[in-house]
Formats: sequence, structure tokens, C-alpha cells
Amino acid sequence: MVSKESCRNEIRTAIGQLSERCLHSAAKWAGEQLVGIEQDPSNSTPSNTRFQRGSSSIRRRFSTNESITTPQPSVGFSQAATPLPEEDEVIDGDLYHLAKSYFNCREYRRASHVLRDQMSKKSVFLRCYSLYLAGEKRKEEEMIELEGSLGKSDAINRELVSLERELSALKRTGEIDSFGLYLYGVVLKEKGNETLARASLVESVNSYPWNWNAWSELQSLCTSIEILNSLNLSNHWMKEFFLASAYQELRMHTESLAKYEYLQGIFSFSNYIQAQTAKAQYSLREFDQVEIMFEDLLRNDPYRVEDMDLYSNVLYAKEACAALSYLAHKVFLTDKYRPESCCIIGNYYSLKGQHEKAVMYFRRALKLNKKYLSAWTLMGHEYVEMKNTPAAIDAYRRAVDINPCDYRAWYGLGQAYEMMGMPFYALHYFRKSIFFLPNDSRLWIAMAKCYQTEQIYMLEEAIKCYKRAVSCTDTEGIALNQLAKLHQKLGRDEEAAVYFEKDVERMDSEGLEGPNMLEALVFLATHFKTHKKFEEAEVYCTRILDYSGPEKEKAKSLLRGIRMEKTGFPSMDMEHFPL
Amino acid sequence: MAGLTRTAGAFAVTPHKISVCVLLQIYAPSAQMSLPFPFSSVSQHNRLGLYLLSLTKACDDMYEMKLEELINQLRELGDDVDAWLTENLTNQFSSLSSPDDLLNFFTDMRGILGSLDSGAVQDDRIVLDHNSNLGMFVRRCILAFNLLSFEMDMEIYVMDKATKEMELHRNASGSVSFHLHTPEALFKVTEGIPYYSPIYAQEEFLRISGLLVSRKEKSSTSKFAEATSVASASSSKVEDTRVDESLFLRTNLQIQGFLMEKADAIEAHGNSFFSSSIESFLEQLQNLAPELHRVHFLRYLNKLHSDDYFAALDNLLRYFDYSAGTEGFDLVPPSTGCSMHGRYEIGLLCLGMMHFRFGHPNLALEVLTEAVRVSQQLSNDTCLAYTLAAMSNLLSEMGIASTTSVLGASYSPVTSTASSLSVQQRVYILLKESLRRADTLKLKRLVASNHLAMAKFELMHVQRPLLSFGPKASMRHKTCPISVCKEIRLSAHLISDFSSESSKMTIDGSLSSVWLKDLQKPWSQPVYSRESSSRNNSTFFKFCDHLVSIPGSVSQIIGASYLIRATSWELYGSAPMARMNTLVYATLFGDSSSSSDAELAYLKLIQHLALYKGYKDAFAALKIAEEKFLTVSKSKILLLKLQLLHEHALHRGNLKLAQRICNELGGLASTTMGVDMELKVEASLREARTLLAAKQYSQAANTAHSLFCTCHKFNLQIEKASVLLLLAEIHKMAGNAVMGLPYALASISFCQSFNLDLLKASATLTLAELWRGLGSNHSKRALDLLHGAFPMILGHGGLELRARAYIFEANCYLSDPSFSVSTDSDTVLDSLRQASDELQALEYHELTAEALYLMAMVYDKLGRPEEREEAAALFKKHITALEIPQDVEPNMA
Repeated sequence: MVSKESCRNEIRTAIGQLSERCLHSAAKWAGEQLVGIEQDPSNSTPSNTRFQRGSSSIRRRFSTNESITTPQPSVGFSQAATPLPEEDEVIDGDLYHLAKSYFNCREYRRASHVLRDQMSKKSVFLRCYSLYLAGEKRKEEEMIELEGSLGKSDAINRELVSLERELSALKRTGEIDSFGLYLYGVVLKEKGNETLARASLVESVNSYPWNWNAWSELQSLCTSIEILNSLNLSNHWMKEFFLASAYQELRMHTESLAKYEYLQGIFSFSNYIQAQTAKAQYSLREFDQVEIMFEDLLRNDPYRVEDMDLYSNVLYAKEACAALSYLAHKVFLTDKYRPESCCIIGNYYSLKGQHEKAVMYFRRALKLNKKYLSAWTLMGHEYVEMKNTPAAIDAYRRAVDINPCDYRAWYGLGQAYEMMGMPFYALHYFRKSIFFLPNDSRLWIAMAKCYQTEQIYMLEEAIKCYKRAVSCTDTEGIALNQLAKLHQKLGRDEEAAVYFEKDVERMDSEGLEGPNMLEALVFLATHFKTHKKFEEAEVYCTRILDYSGPEKEKAKSLLRGIRMEKTGFPSMDMEHFPL
Repeated sequence: MAGLTRTAGAFAVTPHKISVCVLLQIYAPSAQMSLPFPFSSVSQHNRLGLYLLSLTKACDDMYEMKLEELINQLRELGDDVDAWLTENLTNQFSSLSSPDDLLNFFTDMRGILGSLDSGAVQDDRIVLDHNSNLGMFVRRCILAFNLLSFEMDMEIYVMDKATKEMELHRNASGSVSFHLHTPEALFKVTEGIPYYSPIYAQEEFLRISGLLVSRKEKSSTSKFAEATSVASASSSKVEDTRVDESLFLRTNLQIQGFLMEKADAIEAHGNSFFSSSIESFLEQLQNLAPELHRVHFLRYLNKLHSDDYFAALDNLLRYFDYSAGTEGFDLVPPSTGCSMHGRYEIGLLCLGMMHFRFGHPNLALEVLTEAVRVSQQLSNDTCLAYTLAAMSNLLSEMGIASTTSVLGASYSPVTSTASSLSVQQRVYILLKESLRRADTLKLKRLVASNHLAMAKFELMHVQRPLLSFGPKASMRHKTCPISVCKEIRLSAHLISDFSSESSKMTIDGSLSSVWLKDLQKPWSQPVYSRESSSRNNSTFFKFCDHLVSIPGSVSQIIGASYLIRATSWELYGSAPMARMNTLVYATLFGDSSSSSDAELAYLKLIQHLALYKGYKDAFAALKIAEEKFLTVSKSKILLLKLQLLHEHALHRGNLKLAQRICNELGGLASTTMGVDMELKVEASLREARTLLAAKQYSQAANTAHSLFCTCHKFNLQIEKASVLLLLAEIHKMAGNAVMGLPYALASISFCQSFNLDLLKASATLTLAELWRGLGSNHSKRALDLLHGAFPMILGHGGLELRARAYIFEANCYLSDPSFSVSTDSDTVLDSLRQASDELQALEYHELTAEALYLMAMVYDKLGRPEEREEAAALFKKHITALEIPQDVEPNMA
């Protein structure tokens, strides 16, 4: 286990180095982790403790977690302590300071111009970095200026070519530091050379692991577990952060959770870890737990907007209207032009049934970030509500094209086509969604329903799907009931009885009553009676007697019949021999 | 404002347009006397005018000429002025040294337009009329320039510079390709359309080298073409979308037209090399214009033709998800409610056809049934008509064993009415329905291809009343060649529709690129030769002439009608007619057809060669075809090669080889039931023949029997006739003539009801042989039968059949006691000589030996020992060749 103290020292130095190089978001991330480490009681100022106070509530509530957090046998941690690079260059101090302030005022070209003749690694990095950002800025402007109605213009960062030339030359001569390598990786990635980009980024994080920007670029290049495993990363606690996040992206949620739990041993109060854990739990559909975690997070960090869209999804799923409204108004006041804020407001309107407005806000979110996956999917849902199927299909398809693993969008596509009376076409999409999430009973049930439609009417296939749904622990209990009914329809009474019995069992354990129950009881009673299993039949008949309606009468007559048969007088004969 | 800039996008200022403007300025300088400076004669001046006119007409095309090309064309304009023109043009370009100059240039351009109010034009001044073609062009250019924003102004300037630099560079570096010198960005800009040019060139190349679409694919692909072409015509009117490609703006019309051309190209060259190049191009196009969803459809087509199931499916679904089937498929103005629901039924239709092509007939049927249902629900009659046609095509092409439970399981009003009928009857009903709808909706191409399908149906199926009961029901059990002919003719009416309505039908974008191609054609030779001014007129009309160009899809259908003609003549037994029609197809429709159709035509011609000219020619031709088509997906060339090799091996008596090839042939077929039936039948037919040649009669008979059962099960009537003939043949060879007779007679009656004249003639020959087998007292009857069939056999039969007939005739005469060799020797000898010559071309050793043997006997009787010895020597040669089959197969490689 890495000592908290060493972590703290490492991060402190790193923050300085990162902000010196204007890598602000990486510095921000490092800063968050720094205060996430439990403070030394010795040198903690009152403000520090206040900042951390509420954070332990979650641990209190889920005390079981605590036991797992204790030292893990995990990854043979031969911490090859990466030496912190010495800050060498004080020489070009003045110009560098000027360039840095230009950079901070977002005057990138000016910043790079100031550093044009500086040869130190730090200056070279900042010069290249500001040039890159200048190019990015121009690119974004051009995208808006030249945008045609057929989508993107081919606006490119015009600095990439020269940057690549310069950085590769530097790399060849070995005059490149880990920050330069990071930038080189970014440039290569933009140019579409993923393999080289990955190599460069790996080199960068191996020599300087505290740059979270480099890690996240690397993570975006790891699209499969094979690629991830093939990376040659040296051990460092930052690698654990990286792996946790990469696992999450690759939908390996339990692995990811394990990593986060381990990290929480050091960074006990990290908001980042908490949010990521919540994300993973959300994917595992543990909504209650996620809600509590987010509440906690908001209490500590009330102006946080990141990841809050997820929270709004949870609130939406739980139909917690008041809480969602509170959240929406809060993020609106914090920063209303963040994609996450727009998405939250969209969710809010959707829950209120105002789908047009919801669509408007999702659109705004997408205007701010075209690749905002969940906004596309949610917009699709809204269009479905508004019965505008083509628009819904379009939205879902965009989500799928951004991330082909988005099973929600595939499912949405299937539903949309089914709504239009094209069940056979829809089947393909359901199959796709099941491929990505084979353990979700809802998807199996949707597919089964598709097979059951009168247009296709492939009942055997439907039965297979329902069976899969049952094996995936179908919480709503649709599958059992349907299985029983289908078997009944196909005249396989034995199977039908088995499933009805299971269904009754399930309903009993969940304390459910209703027409399904009654139907199952009636079937079972008649079934057992015809098969002369009178005890069972009687049990079910007496249960029916608790209900009112015509079934009650039927149960009574069944009981009478059973008693007759039991006494040895077949009911049939009785009629023939009037007593 | 947004609307304003959008419409401006329909016509964008490009360097090419600027150079045309420069030329226009030279053509009509403001305030000049009647003949401007460099021109020496009025006709010279007019020639430039005509050239400019065609340039302005071509400027709606996807491609823009490069400056270099323009200069080359100017050079070809001839005359002494060209140098001056070129220099002036480049000078003008160099003088545009800042965006400001560009502004001034366009201000000057106004000067060359006549004033609006001056009704009468002064005679001695050249002024462009506002409403003339050239005047309109200038006005459009000026307007487009004025609408440009500051940024775009800069861009144009940059491009201009690039064009100029490119030119200078070229001059400086001579032969070295300038692409190497110019940075990529400039390269992109200087090329009219950066990425297309290599593909374009390649396409041209392939167009020259390649010919043709499979018979199976025919109707479905032509439907695509119809769908896409008509679609773009109507959609382009409404949409003013534009696409940015390396900063040039293109109109939707141009793009759609261009994409259609690409779609045609995909169909025409279905090989993998072409497919990968076009795939990379489409990827780039998609990156440039992500909202241009037609690209997905093209990718689908491309993947379809390169047999990549998953990618094809993915792209198809993506296309319909994005466009809801409305982009590029507006066959009819959307009826009420359609816009709300999209046109997903077309997606179903395409999906169905895709499954069909990939050999999933049952899946295809399910999907098409759904398509029928959805189109009925949304009352999209057009789609319904197409779907029904696709369904009937599917049903007729795939072998369906049982007549029930194919359509019965799925609910559908149209199809379920026919649930009690046989597959054939259902195909007929579907076709009729489709035809009726297509007729009322005026879907001309569909009508035409339905007529073709009908012709195919009539060709293969005995006409029988659908419901025959009562004494008055007609009992004609015959196919009707007249109705086949009628249907084919009806389908050919299509072309007349297009030649008369060309003005209305050709609003699609592909036409503007036709302009450029036509421009290139006349320019490649020096048209504007100095001496004749009258010829100028004629070339001008040549330009106009091309306005009546026939869309590719139409000529495809017409071409297909020739192929069907050829097929029907093949069946009816007229070899010359079949050959002629195939040749017509290959020469006239070769370049507009898809690769599989072209392949089919080649196949037919090669088969013809093998049958009528012997193997040597056939193998030579096969070699040529192989080079052309082996890369094509689902190529039938391999099949043809195996067939030829098998025949050859059988004739040469190399039975082991024949057996091996037979097995290979069987291995080509898919293992799925009901798929590749033709191939499966072919393989077992050949197997039976091999067994027969190996004298394993009972095994051969068993194989033939089970083959007959299969044919019966899958309703392959024509194949049944030939299987029956084979059975008769087997019994004849086994020496069991009595058993053979009924088979031969049955075969003849089958042939009669299907009008298979040639097959009937050959069955008659077998029948005659069987009679003679019963004893020499039946010779007379046999000879009569043979003489009845002789005209057909000699007129249309292949080498083998003819030779057999000759030998048989000779045999009959020789065994006739009343026939005297000494007096009538020529009758016999002529036949035998003919037979042995023809058989030698086939390398049919066994029969040749027989003919030669008979000849030797006759010569012996006649007392001509020299000739006898000669025949005997030849006989010996063939017998040894037969006994020791040489394994030298020069053509196998």
C-alpha cells in the first residue's frame, strides 16, 4: 500500500508542475485528489476538516463496504517510485511568465510567439501547446462559419502538421519531456494515427504519471480490453485510477468498482472517486445506493455539475419529481450552458410530461456537445413519447453511431420499429441490444413480445426468449406469466402448470395480488383436478375462494366435483343415476 | 439571411468559373468594336463563343475542369489565337494578387453585360444579352460573388492563388507531377474534386474493359436504379442542401447525380478491387458530409456487391434509420400521413432483396411479407408494387419444396388469398398485381421489368387456367411463345417512353455530368477544324443531341430483354437467334450493364462456341472472359469452366477426370435446401452422364431417377424433360430398348408442351435409335423419325447432335438390306465424313472411331483400299486415344 503521505507529497509537487505548464484541467483533477486524501490530524486546519466533514456519511450507511476496503492483496504493488523531475529551468523565466499570462488570457498565438526562440523543454511545450490550442480555437470557429446543412465541414486544426513535424523531430533527438510526449500523443490521435498516439501517451504516463489529461487521452484510445491489456504501463497508483476508469468504459463494472474501492483506502474523501463509483453502481442499476451517493456528493460540493446528469436520470427513474426540480434549478443557477445542465433540465421537463420543452433542452445540450451520448438517447425517448418515430429513430441511430455499445439506443430503435408495426425489422435491433447486455431481462422480454406479435407469431422463439428472461431474474415477473400462458396456448398443460406454479410462488413471496394471480390459481386448480391431483387442486380452489367474482363460483363447483370424485363417485356417473 | 446564403450555395464561385469569366471578358470585351483584338475572323470568334457556351452548360457538373485541362482544350480549339488566349488567361490570374483585385474583377464583369433598358442592341458592339446563356452565367457569377462573406472571399482568393501557382509550377518543373510539390492542402483545392479523380479515371478504364448484372439480380437491381433515379429528381427540386468539399460548394442536384453514377458504377464493376477503392472514397465523402445519408446507401450497395453481409446489413439499416427512407426515394409525392411515418417500408423491401441475394430465401420472404403489410398500412402503393415484384422474383427463383406453409404462416391480405394455390400460381398472381399497380402508378421501369418477369414466367410455365373446373375449362397444356414475345416487346416500349419524354425525365443531376463527358468526347479530336465552318454547326447539335440521353437503368432493362430473348431462343432451340441476341446485347448494352449481366452474355457466347465450334475456340474465349470476370463476386465463370472441362473429359473418355470435375461442380452449390437448385440439378445430371459413360447403367439410372424426383419436387419442368431423355439414353445404352421407349416418348411430350424444339429433336433421335435397337426390321420407322427431325437437328443442333444423327442415318442405311452400298455410297459417305470432321473438333474419340470404322467398312466394300487404310489408321488413332486418356490438360491451368 502506498503511504498517504507520499501520495500527498507527489500530488502537491505535480500540481505545481501542471499549472506551471498551463495544464489546468489536469491540475484541477490532481487538486481534487489531493484534498481527497485523509488529512493528517496534526496539520489540519479547521477549514480542511470542515471541507471533509460530511463525506463519511456514505461509509457510515454502507458499513459493509468498510470491510472490503481494508488492504487488498491487489496488484503486486512494487511501487517503482517514479522520481519527480526537478524543475530545472529558471533561465527563461521572464518571457515564460509573460507567455503564461497570455495563455491564461486565452491569447494563444501571442503566447507561442513570445516563446518562439526559447529552447528549454518547458518553453517548447508551452509554445507547442498554445499553438495547438490556437489551432483548435480557429477550427471551432471555422466549423461554425463553414457549416453546411449536410453537417460538418472539413475544418481541421491547421497547426497539426507543423506540430507533428516539430514534435517528432524532438522525439527523435530525445529532447522531449513527458509533457511533450503527451502533446505529441494528442496530435497523433487527432491525425488518426492511434497506434503511435497510444505509444507516445504510454511513454508519457510512464515517465510522468501525474498528468491525468494524458491518462484520459490514453483511455479514450483503449476501445477494447485487448488493447488495454496490451499496454505496457509501469506500476503507479495513478495506473489504478486509469484502470478503474478504463474498465468502466469497457462495461466491466465490477472490476471497476473493485479498483475504486481500493483507491478509496487512500483517497477516502475524493469526490471524483465517489462520483465514479456512483456511475458504476448506476450501470448495475443500484438506484437507491446511487441516489444516496449523489446526495452526499452534492452536500460536499454543492456547485458541482459534472456527472449530475446521471443523478437526474436516477431521480427520473425513481420519479422523484421534487428532488429533480430542486436539482434542475440548482444547476441552472450554477451554469445553465453546460451540456449536463441542459440534460438535467430536459429530464425535468420530461418527467413533467412537457416533451417539446424537454426536446428543446436536449437539443441545446447537443449543440454544446455533439457527442453527448445520453442526450441523444434521451431525446429519442422524448420523440417516442411525442409519437414522432422517424425523429426518434434518427436520434437513437446517432447515439449508436457515437458508441455502438449503447444498448439503450439499440433497444430504443427496436421499440420504435415495433411501434410502427415492423416487428421483424425491429428484431434485429433487439438482438443488437441483447448482444451488448445479455443479462437484462427487460431486453429479452421485449424481444419475446416482438416474436409474439400477430404478424410474426413465432411462439417457440418467444418462449426461448422468456426462458432467458427468467434466468436473468426478471424482477417484474412478466416472463413467468407469459411462459405459462404461451404453453397453455400451445396446449402444453404440464409446462404451463409448472410456470404458473412458479409464478404463484413469486407473487406470494412479493405479496402481490391481482388478475394474474387469480388466473394462475384457476388454471392450476382445474389442471390438478383433471389430473386427479386432488390435494393440490383443493389448495388452489380454497385460495380462489378468497376472491370475489365468477371465479369464486367456479372454484366452488370445482371443489364440489373434487369431493365427489374423492368419495369414489365419478361425477359423470352421478348424473346418470339419479338418486 | 440563412435562406439567402443557402440558395447561393446552389452556385458557387470557383477558380474554374473565374477562368471562364476571364475568357468571357476576352470574348466580349466591354466597349469594343465588332471584332475584338486577337480574332482574325468572325467564325473564329464564334467558335470561342460556342466553346464558352458549352463550358457554361457543363458548369453544373460535379467535376470542374482543372486549369491545365482548360488550357489544353483551348489549344485544341486550334487557330493561332490559342497561345494568346492561354497567356492572357494566366496573366489575368496572376494579376489577381489580392482579394481586393477579385472584387474589382467582378465589378468589371458587369461591364460586359448589356444594359437592361437598351432594347435594341447596337450592331457593331458585342454585348452579352442579360437573358442569354452566357449573360445568365455572368450574372450568376456576379451574384454568387456578392453573396460571399468576408471569410469565403478569402478562401476563393487562396484557391485562386493555388490554381495559379499550380500552373506556374507545372511550367517550371516540366514533366514532374506537380502533386508532389504542392502541399496537400493546395492539392486538395486545385483538383476539382480532390478525391474523385483517381477513381474517376479508373471508372473510365473499367468502363472500357468491362461489360455487364446477373439474370437473378436483374429485376431487383433495376428497381434500385429506378428508385434512386426518380427519387433524386424530385428531391433535388425541394432541397437546396449543399455539401462542402474542400471548400467548393456543390448543389444537391450535382451530388445526387454524382452518387447515382457511382451506384451504377458499383453495379457495373462488382469486383473486389473496385469495391475497396470506392469504399475508401465513400468513407471520405461521409466524413466530409455526415448528413448526406445517401452515402450510407451507396456503401450498402457496394458491400452488397462485394458479398460482405454484415457490413451491408449495417449500412442498409443505418441509411434507413437516418433518412427514414425519404432521402433519395421520393418516388411519389408524399401522400397524407406519410411524412409522419417515414418510408421504412422501402427499407424492408431493400432488406428483403438483400437477404435474397445472400441466399436466405425464408428470411427474405418474411421481410418482404412485412414490407407488403406496412406498405398497405401506409398506403404506399409504389412500394407495394415493387415489393410484390420482388416477392414474385424471389418465389420464382428459389426452389420451394412444399407449396404450403411458405406464405401461409405470415399474415398478409395479398399473399394469403393465394394460400391454397401452388407457388407458380402465386408467382403469377403477384406479378399480375404488381404489374397492375405499376401501370396505374405509371412506374415505367417497373412495368418494363415486370413484363420481362412475365416473359420469363411464360417461358417456363405451362399455361393453365388458375381455376379449372367444368367442361368448358380450356385444357391447353402448352407454353405460349407468342405471349413470351409479347411480354418482351411490351417491356421494350420503355425506351420509346424515354426518347419522347426526355425533357421531363432527365432532371436528375447525372445529366449535367453527361455534359462534361460529351464535351470531352468531341474535344479529344480536333472538331473545330479550320476549313469547314459548317461542321461547327453539326458538332453543336451533337451537344444538344445528348440531352436525349437514356438513363442507365432504362438501357439496363432493355438490355435484359435481349438477354431473355437469347435465353428463350436457347430453350426454343434456335442457336443462331440466341447467338444474335446475345451479340446485340454485348455490343449495344455492354457498357451500361452490370457486371453479372455482362458475364451472363459472355457465358452464353462461350457455350455457343463450345457446342458449335469445338473446345479449342471455347477455351480460348474462356480465357478472355476469365481475366475479365473472375474477380467479380459470385462469378459464374468457374462454373462454366467446370462444365466445359467435364464435357471435354467425357468426350475424350477421361472418366476419372470427369468424375472429379463433377464432384467439384456439386461442391459449388450451397447446402441450404431450395437454394442453388439449377446448380444442384446440373451437378447430378452430369454425374449420371459420367456414370453412363462408365457403363454403370443401374447406378446411372438410380441417379437420374432421384434427380427426376427432385425436379418434380421443385417444379423444374424443363429440367424434367432432359432428365427423361437421359433415362431413355441410359436404357438405350444398357440395351434395354423397350424400357427406354416410354421415357423417350414422355420426354418428347414434355418438350412439346414447353415448345423445346431442339430438345425434342434430340429426343426424337434417341427414340429412333431405340426403335432400331428393337431390331433391324424397325429401321424404316427409325429412319422416318430421324428424317422428320433432321431439319431441326441440322439447322440448329450442336456438333455432337448432328454427328450422332449422321452416324445413325448411315447405320440405318447400311443395315437396310434393300440399300446397296455400291450404287448409293455417297449418301452414306458424305454423312460419315461430315460426322467424323465435326466429332474431331469435339475430340469425341468414341463416336469418331465409330464413324471412321463405318467409313472404312464402306470403302472396303467399294474396293477403295487406299481410303480404307486411311480411315482405319485414323480409327486406330482415336481408339488408342480413348484407351489411354492423356492427362495433358493445357487449359486446366
